[in-house]
Amino acid sequence: MPRHTRRETAVLAAPLVLFLLAILGFPVILSVVYGLSETTFQTLRSPSFTGLDNFSRVIADDRFWQAAWFSLRFGVITAVLQCALGLFLAVYLAPLIARHGWTVAVLIMPMVVAPAMMGLMYRLSLHEFAGPIPHYMWQWFGWSPAFLNARNVFATVVVAETLQWTPFAFLLLLAAYQTLPRDVAEAARVDGTRPWRLFWKIELPLLMPTLWIALFIRFIDGFRVFDNIYTLVGSGPGGITTSMSIYIYEAFLRQGDIGRALAAAILLFGAAFTLLSLAQRLGRRRRAA
Amino acid sequence: MKLHSVLRWAVFAVAAFVMNFPILATLVTALKPPGEVTRNPSLWIESPTLENFAIVLTVSDRLNIYAYLFNSLTAALIGAILPILLCFPVAWALARRGTGRAVLFPLVVNLRALPLIIFAIPLYIMYATLGLLDTRVGLGLILAVVNLPLAFLLIVNAIQAIPLELEEAARMDGARLPRILRRVVLPLCRPAFLTTFIFGFITAWNEFLFGLMLTTQKAVPVTVGASFFFATSGGGVQWGVAAAVMIVAALPPLVLGVVMYRRIGGSMLGGAVKG
Repeated sequence: MPRHTRRETAVLAAPLVLFLLAILGFPVILSVVYGLSETTFQTLRSPSFTGLDNFSRVIADDRFWQAAWFSLRFGVITAVLQCALGLFLAVYLAPLIARHGWTVAVLIMPMVVAPAMMGLMYRLSLHEFAGPIPHYMWQWFGWSPAFLNARNVFATVVVAETLQWTPFAFLLLLAAYQTLPRDVAEAARVDGTRPWRLFWKIELPLLMPTLWIALFIRFIDGFRVFDNIYTLVGSGPGGITTSMSIYIYEAFLRQGDIGRALAAAILLFGAAFTLLSLAQRLGRRRRAA
Repeated sequence: MKLHSVLRWAVFAVAAFVMNFPILATLVTALKPPGEVTRNPSLWIESPTLENFAIVLTVSDRLNIYAYLFNSLTAALIGAILPILLCFPVAWALARRGTGRAVLFPLVVNLRALPLIIFAIPLYIMYATLGLLDTRVGLGLILAVVNLPLAFLLIVNAIQAIPLELEEAARMDGARLPRILRRVVLPLCRPAFLTTFIFGFITAWNEFLFGLMLTTQKAVPVTVGASFFFATSGGGVQWGVAAAVMIVAALPPLVLGVVMYRRIGGSMLGGAVKG
């Protein structure tokens, strides 16, 4: 590359690179410094170096591992449910959507509402005195579960997350389904192939790459969940809905233990980074194969 | 054939009702007078009223919804527009010269997959030092980071789709790079900019965690402001008013999403497949 072209390229890349350095590069350095120090809000300007103490405190903390386990389970279960439901809706409703496009707009409404607002909306819907769901449960079945008690709260937050984000999987899979070659389906129909067989043998394999992507994105978002759980139940009865994000938030703002919060954040970053590189390596091998 | 069509409408109706149930329940509650909410929690409104919305839209000591909305609007505009400005030049360099393909591009795109809380704490410390805590600009800057991955992807895809010949022709006519970018590439990227903007605006408006951690009074966005209504000290929650606040807070992205649903669907596939 001639020198003036190189200079030109540097100028083109400069805005983004400088912005990233300023807003992420500096915080990364801060993270490491404070992660290795004992810091509270009172000593924010003068952290005292304590080495790996914060990390060993995090690793010894049962609640950290509970939070990790919660996030993992929550991410996997919600991702699978959303993708299964989304796939069904996309494939089954495709003929309807082809003629009445507006139906898509109705189905994606939940995902454009802020998750934090959705959490509050569920809090209202499930409230024992003001909520319509317990009201109808009592009216129709003479009984209503305590949705937010220790026994049911996990199922409740899983259902809330699933119903809000199924539209995401649905939309992604619908877009992929609509680009499938029509002639294959047409030929199969002429041959008298059953729709179920056509789906299972031909369409599903073609949708698999998109399905993996949808599963991966939904798992990531489920794993890092904060907003809707926080506004619906906070950390839950006995802290059982403490996700990784909520654990770090509480260590930081509630307990003022900045060092431990940052150490947990760094560990989380390490885990996310490892997972991400693994997923990408898998993706590349799949594409190469 | 007929039966299947009926079944499909039924599945659509059930899915739409169940998934949108909390929104519907909130809207219904917002339209009930205060006395009715706990006496009649059903979806049927005995005496519909706009009273709750009138309370929400009137400025009082307890609630100034316009301040929250203004904070959200400013921060979301910064969060949606800044990524487009930052990504456009480097996206061209990436698409045409391969700049940043090895490090910059994967780095930015992978930001999408990291838990946001990781950035929140160091940013809190940095903002405290720089005086950016509790400011709309500070909030907008971090929302821009959240939107960078999709902006970068969509704009790179858009530029790759532009035929090289168009740029070649302009170069033959003696146009230099800045002029080519402005006159040839930029106009053809407008649809991608619009999609990026809509997606970014909805994401930024709906963001909660950074609003919760980085603002306290002056720059509180409406998502965080609405949640204050449930944390009432003493006395119960005023359900009708709280519901009306939620509807007002949810309305801008909801309207944008419903009007622009075609764009959202298409861009998601483009963004996901490459990512």
